[in-house]
Amino acid sequence: MNTRKLLRNVSLESGLLLIGIPVFLWTMIPLYHMFLFAISPKDAAFSGQLWPTNPTLRNFEIVFQQKHHFLYNFWLQMWNSLWISSATAVITLMVASAAAFAISRLRMKGGRLVMNFALFTYFIPAAFLAVPMYKTMTIYRLQGSDLSLILAMVTIASPYAIWILRQASDKLPVELDEAALIDGASPFQLFRLVYIPLMVPSLIAVGTYALLLAWNEYLYAFLLLQSEKTLTLPVALGNFLSADDSPWELLMTAGFIYALPPAAIYYAFRRYMSSGLTAGAVKG
Amino acid sequence: MTATSIETARRDTTRRARSSQGLSKEAWGRIFVTPYVLIFLSLVVFPVGYAFWLARDPQLYVELAKDPVFLRTAINTLIFLLVAINVKMMVALFLSGFFTHKRWWVKVLAVLFVLPWAVPSIPTIISMRFMLNPEWGVINQLIFKLTTEDGPNWLNDPTLALSLSMVVHIWKSLPFWTLILLAGRLAIPLELYEAASVDGAGPWHRFRFITWPSMRTLYVTCTLLSMIFTVGDFNSVYLLTGGGPADLTHVLATLGIRYLRLDQVGLAMATIVVALPFVLPLVFFMMKRLSR
Amino acid sequence: MRRAIAAAAALAIALSAGQALAQEKLTVLWVKGFYKSEDDALYAAIKAYETKNPGVKIELSQYAVQDMIPKSVAALDAGAPPDIAYSDTYDVQVAGKWAFDGKLEDLTDLITPMKDRFEAVALSTAFLYNDKAKKKSYYAFPIKQQTLHIQYWKDMLAQAGFKESDIPGTWKEYWSFWCEKVQPASRKATGQRTYGIGSPMGVESTDSFQSFLSWVDAYNVKLVDDSGKLLVDDPKVKAGLVNALRDYTEVYTKGCSPPSSTTWKDPDNNVAFHNRTTVMTHNYTISIAAKWLDDANNEQLTAEQRAAGRKAYDELIATSGFPKKPDGSPMVYRTAVKVGVIFQDSKNKARAKDFLKFMLEEANLRPYVEGALGRWFPVTKESQKSAFWQADKHRKAVYDQFTAGTTPFEFTKNYKFTILNNENVWAKAMNRVVNEKVSVDKAVDELIARIKEVAG
Repeated sequence: MNTRKLLRNVSLESGLLLIGIPVFLWTMIPLYHMFLFAISPKDAAFSGQLWPTNPTLRNFEIVFQQKHHFLYNFWLQMWNSLWISSATAVITLMVASAAAFAISRLRMKGGRLVMNFALFTYFIPAAFLAVPMYKTMTIYRLQGSDLSLILAMVTIASPYAIWILRQASDKLPVELDEAALIDGASPFQLFRLVYIPLMVPSLIAVGTYALLLAWNEYLYAFLLLQSEKTLTLPVALGNFLSADDSPWELLMTAGFIYALPPAAIYYAFRRYMSSGLTAGAVKG
Repeated sequence: MTATSIETARRDTTRRARSSQGLSKEAWGRIFVTPYVLIFLSLVVFPVGYAFWLARDPQLYVELAKDPVFLRTAINTLIFLLVAINVKMMVALFLSGFFTHKRWWVKVLAVLFVLPWAVPSIPTIISMRFMLNPEWGVINQLIFKLTTEDGPNWLNDPTLALSLSMVVHIWKSLPFWTLILLAGRLAIPLELYEAASVDGAGPWHRFRFITWPSMRTLYVTCTLLSMIFTVGDFNSVYLLTGGGPADLTHVLATLGIRYLRLDQVGLAMATIVVALPFVLPLVFFMMKRLSR
Repeated sequence: MRRAIAAAAALAIALSAGQALAQEKLTVLWVKGFYKSEDDALYAAIKAYETKNPGVKIELSQYAVQDMIPKSVAALDAGAPPDIAYSDTYDVQVAGKWAFDGKLEDLTDLITPMKDRFEAVALSTAFLYNDKAKKKSYYAFPIKQQTLHIQYWKDMLAQAGFKESDIPGTWKEYWSFWCEKVQPASRKATGQRTYGIGSPMGVESTDSFQSFLSWVDAYNVKLVDDSGKLLVDDPKVKAGLVNALRDYTEVYTKGCSPPSSTTWKDPDNNVAFHNRTTVMTHNYTISIAAKWLDDANNEQLTAEQRAAGRKAYDELIATSGFPKKPDGSPMVYRTAVKVGVIFQDSKNKARAKDFLKFMLEEANLRPYVEGALGRWFPVTKESQKSAFWQADKHRKAVYDQFTAGTTPFEFTKNYKFTILNNENVWAKAMNRVVNEKVSVDKAVDELIARIKEVAG
């Protein structure tokens, strides 16, 4: 009995490793190649070596101290990215969770219609809506402001967010709402005190989605933002494509650094991911 | 609980809610949904309508069809959607199961795993391009060291180049879909699994009878959505192959951007309208699914 | 939440309105410079203008070159174009079309008085046809120009056992020298798989068509006449195209250009040259040499790296023009003159013209052009005589090429050639030959058919 259990454990562990190792390699090899550029002296990375002969942190120093023409506003642009993507995530979560709550829990009339219309947003791929969106923002006199980009990103992120949140909230037991309403809670209190806490894993997934959508947005960002001081970093990185001979090692370094904040944010919130629903269900 | 009893319970609570509060549940629902409706009206309806207006001239479609790369582009787009997305979603479904395991190293791996999604496209895809360079790129250098034979001229073969674009696409967006499916899995009440393991069900049975039924809608809809999102993905192709060799790996998105670069907004928009036959059934199918 | 958005929107509107009231605003859309010195020169000119005109506030937006056109197109379409706009890509992709569609402001009044200051060929590329007004006029303004140069590693050449004086000056011999003599000798001497020539052939690159069209020039082929009419039905044109395509693709089929060159984008021939995969390459601008000069001046690099940059620029890399054409006459270089525009719908056209006049003054334009370390050649006669172009042998070579006489691109006469270039029918014809093994003759027939379809 015990040996069988042990055997099963061993086979489970080795099975997990058998998946984990390829996943690790698949994820890390391209990132490692970028990192290789980041720690190589100028031009050295083009020799096809697996480890540079003279590794250096000089590129990081140059990027951190903004000492290249393309990166003079690195920190400011990093901040812009962070502000715009956080704002996108927060607004998307507010708009989408409210809408999902109305559709799924309050079962408002026409909720299904709203859902269907929301998904209609994806009828035309976002990349193609760029020019019309610019026109729209000009009409609203928002062109050039960070608000225009935030709103555009919220528009693109919301339908999917609403849909995911609705999916998850449909799974919550109806009794929860009833109990709360009988206790005399208003739908708003129900939303804030019962619904939101139970939705945490999905909110994190959706929040990360909205955050990263805005974090890496390129097309809308360069169309809607105007001055170099308001650009987000991915647009600024486009400068490296502007001529045939760029400092590629700095591009890779900056790109590598740029990936860390969202990973950190995700890491910080990740522990809530497995807790949300299961914990709530026990409480309920 | 049956549908009718839910219905009755709902009506009951509504009545009670209305009597205790000033506002009906219905009114609250409308308030909650208003922010989104406003966004939808101002930032979706108008731009989409405008896009159609820009693409209204039938002559544009004649011109588009005359572009010699157009047919190939349409086929490439279809292949990209069918192959890349299905492979990606199946892997994502599989990996979402993997990431539910509670091990310290799985947690670490999960954080590393989101990195591809977090890195901006420009440096990453350029770096991959450098990796694939047949003369001095890391991959072919390695192949040469191991076999003393030349590696393939990766991006010069249309099939290989398009496949590699798909690999790049999968690499970049796999984390996102895995995460969504993971959230879906975590929403399945644990009791179901506990009950199943008491019954002695194996992993396949657990998947077949518990996981899949509760994930199916999510999975299928995610697949459809991913296809729709991908119609507009131009980075994976544009930055890796640029549509080359000889414009044989273009997708509709890269073709559209090419028109935009020549100030042929009408043609760029017409490319979208042509893309609609790809998107339309997906959207239709999706809306139908959701209405069930 | 909704209120917050509304309030923010109101605030944004109020702020922008407030600014507009305080000062006269001029919006300038200008491509981001590759070097700091370029942008510094632009900022200095803007500042000088603002000092001279205290009531004017210049609002500058800068983007990477590949974003400039989508951005301009979106702004134009929204009816809110900048007052004045310049990008290195306008000439090759949109200026001709914009002029044809009547979207540009006629600058004749501004340019005529300063006409004598500009080089004639350069100015002629700003003289564009407006189909609405049915006339040709100055619908754009020239800023700088570029042409095709040869770059090679002198030390690799020496390592292969050749002197610079061994390089032949005649067409056929010249290409076979790099391919059949230098390449095998270099491989033998270094033990590395080096290639004699880096020949850009990628569809998604401008290098490939700019290079190829010089081969077309070498065979004296004229694809359009001055009124923009196609001349491709002339059997001599076809014969010339066949020769050009055969010569260009033979380098690859003989294995003298790296296998990846069929998929090269613009940076790739530079990269292959810098890491010494190729001994020689042709490139539109001297960006290859200028990179090493930039390294030499870059204080962020280590002393050795700077010394290496200095050495490469001063000693190891050579810049040169082309050999004689196949018919024995000297090569005439095709110049791409970079132009900017003022739009019909620009709000503040009068001020834009005034600023343009100021910008085109010698004192403001020259530092901007020279800020690029020799990548761009001036369009004014006086700037061309500047000591800058005699300062070292790379620049001197550029100077010699330009003063030997230049010829403009087809798209200045028939804007539809911008479509052909963007589609890169030229690189596609090369790919037909080298990858799909179609005969040169057939590839040229297809090429001509496509030219007629698009530009006929």
